[in-house]
Amino acid sequence: MEKLDGQKITEALAAKFASPTRSTRLTVVLGRWLGITFTICFFTGLFSHGLQNPPSWMFFPTSPVWIYQLSQGLHVTAGIAAIPLLLAKLWSVYPELLTWPPVKSLVHGLERASIALFIASSLLQLTTGLINTYKWYPWPFPFRETHYWLAWVIWGSLLLHVAVKLPAIAGHWRLPSSGDPDVGGPAAKDPGTSGVEPSSAAGSSGRWSRRGFLTAVAAATGAVVVTTAGQSFSWLAPANLFAPRKMGTGPQGVPVNRTAADAKVTELAKSPTWALMVRSGGSSRSFTLEELRALPQHSHELPIACVEGWSQMAIWRGVRVRDLLASVGAPAGSELRFTSLEPEGAYRTMTMPAEYSRDEKTLVALELNGSVLDLDHGYPARIIAPGRPGVLQTKWLHSMEVR
Amino acid sequence: MKTSLTVKAARAALGVAGVAILVYGLLGLPTQLGPSQLIGLLTWMAVAILIHDGVIVPLSTVAGAGLTRVGSKLQPPSAAVLRGALLTGALVTLVAGILLKAQSVAQSATVLEASYAVNLLGFWVALALASVAAIIVLERRARRSGTNSP
Repeated sequence: MEKLDGQKITEALAAKFASPTRSTRLTVVLGRWLGITFTICFFTGLFSHGLQNPPSWMFFPTSPVWIYQLSQGLHVTAGIAAIPLLLAKLWSVYPELLTWPPVKSLVHGLERASIALFIASSLLQLTTGLINTYKWYPWPFPFRETHYWLAWVIWGSLLLHVAVKLPAIAGHWRLPSSGDPDVGGPAAKDPGTSGVEPSSAAGSSGRWSRRGFLTAVAAATGAVVVTTAGQSFSWLAPANLFAPRKMGTGPQGVPVNRTAADAKVTELAKSPTWALMVRSGGSSRSFTLEELRALPQHSHELPIACVEGWSQMAIWRGVRVRDLLASVGAPAGSELRFTSLEPEGAYRTMTMPAEYSRDEKTLVALELNGSVLDLDHGYPARIIAPGRPGVLQTKWLHSMEVR
Repeated sequence: MKTSLTVKAARAALGVAGVAILVYGLLGLPTQLGPSQLIGLLTWMAVAILIHDGVIVPLSTVAGAGLTRVGSKLQPPSAAVLRGALLTGALVTLVAGILLKAQSVAQSATVLEASYAVNLLGFWVALALASVAAIIVLERRARRSGTNSP
């Protein structure tokens, strides 16, 4: 009796939420788009994580110099694109929530549990990922660790989901030619996601067709991408209405994440006795700002690219790291450890693998875009290396040691 | 027969790989998050599902029903333009709304510098103008072709 009531209630609810726009084909198309964005996010995210917490086998590409600008720009942009796509995908399968009985068997129960985990972690990942780029993070769990481990949960869930739904996906990968029998898998038999295609040209009166809905989802996705991706891709900068960063803003036309005041370094950085310590084994030398300026200066156009997705090309001028290494008799491909004047902070010290210290574009920069480094950009001297996350481009240098 | 074997093998491989990757992530979480952080995380996830399934989808269904009534007075193409414009506007407003909230609590002076409220207003004006123009054109065209061939 109770069972029947539950069935009645869910069926009545399903009828309320029914829409002829829904179909397995619609879900497959949206799932394809969403799967692509999640996969881009997963692999660009692993690349960024590997650069910051390198495993022993990590590779460090220094060319093209914009490789991290591109990969992290794609990461954040694909994540933003996934927001409308996820909402549309979840809407397309909403009636599955109301199936009765809720759990038919152990396998069915496990599948539903895995989908609940998939949905919940995806909602969390996209929401906290977006809001973290706004420098606002009001939650009790840490961002980086949660974002990293949930990425594995989500991408694993995606593969599992594709495995479970493969017959339905394969059956609706292409539009059936007219007259074909319905080729849906198990999903096709669920209420509200009937495999039977409603007319794709025009919807029933006042409603929209599958194609109309897909076009609208594509338009919405395009709108959120175009109005935000200008923080990462300069050709979209004029359309940047809703990104937290704008290219060309900040001192010397380059945005700043952590100011000298945030890092509490103003006094130390302005001190007339400042000098850069360079150490290799037993030998060490210290260079005053005047001495650094007297060394051969090199200019390179390199991007500063933040993990939060924004980036900015700029012209940096200063001393090559390999020249400083030579001055203490160390080989060009040495692994280095840099320390900032910052009294504390997660990025006070930075390790630089040999790939960067060997690269002739890696500079101890003293100038930015034609003038002396602004205090907020790391005056008196900072690191700029090709293809590295912004947090590893250490500002307000204090020392450089061969490890 | 051969295809079904291939499909079975592909499903098994995807399924095993998926479960392995998923479990790796689940086991990794407690190595870096403490018990209270994990509880915070699970609570967030449960509330997110409740809000999505219990508020967002029902509200969008109500909005959709209203649009069906309005849309039945329009030609199907212009009804689709109306729905598409509202969907686009709603999603942009969602992103910009969170941005505005973040701006009101931001501590870093170097981020969130634009006038997002003005930008949002501008976006809606442009969206409304473009959609109204498209709807007028579509309705006129439908009426004209309707008089030619009833």
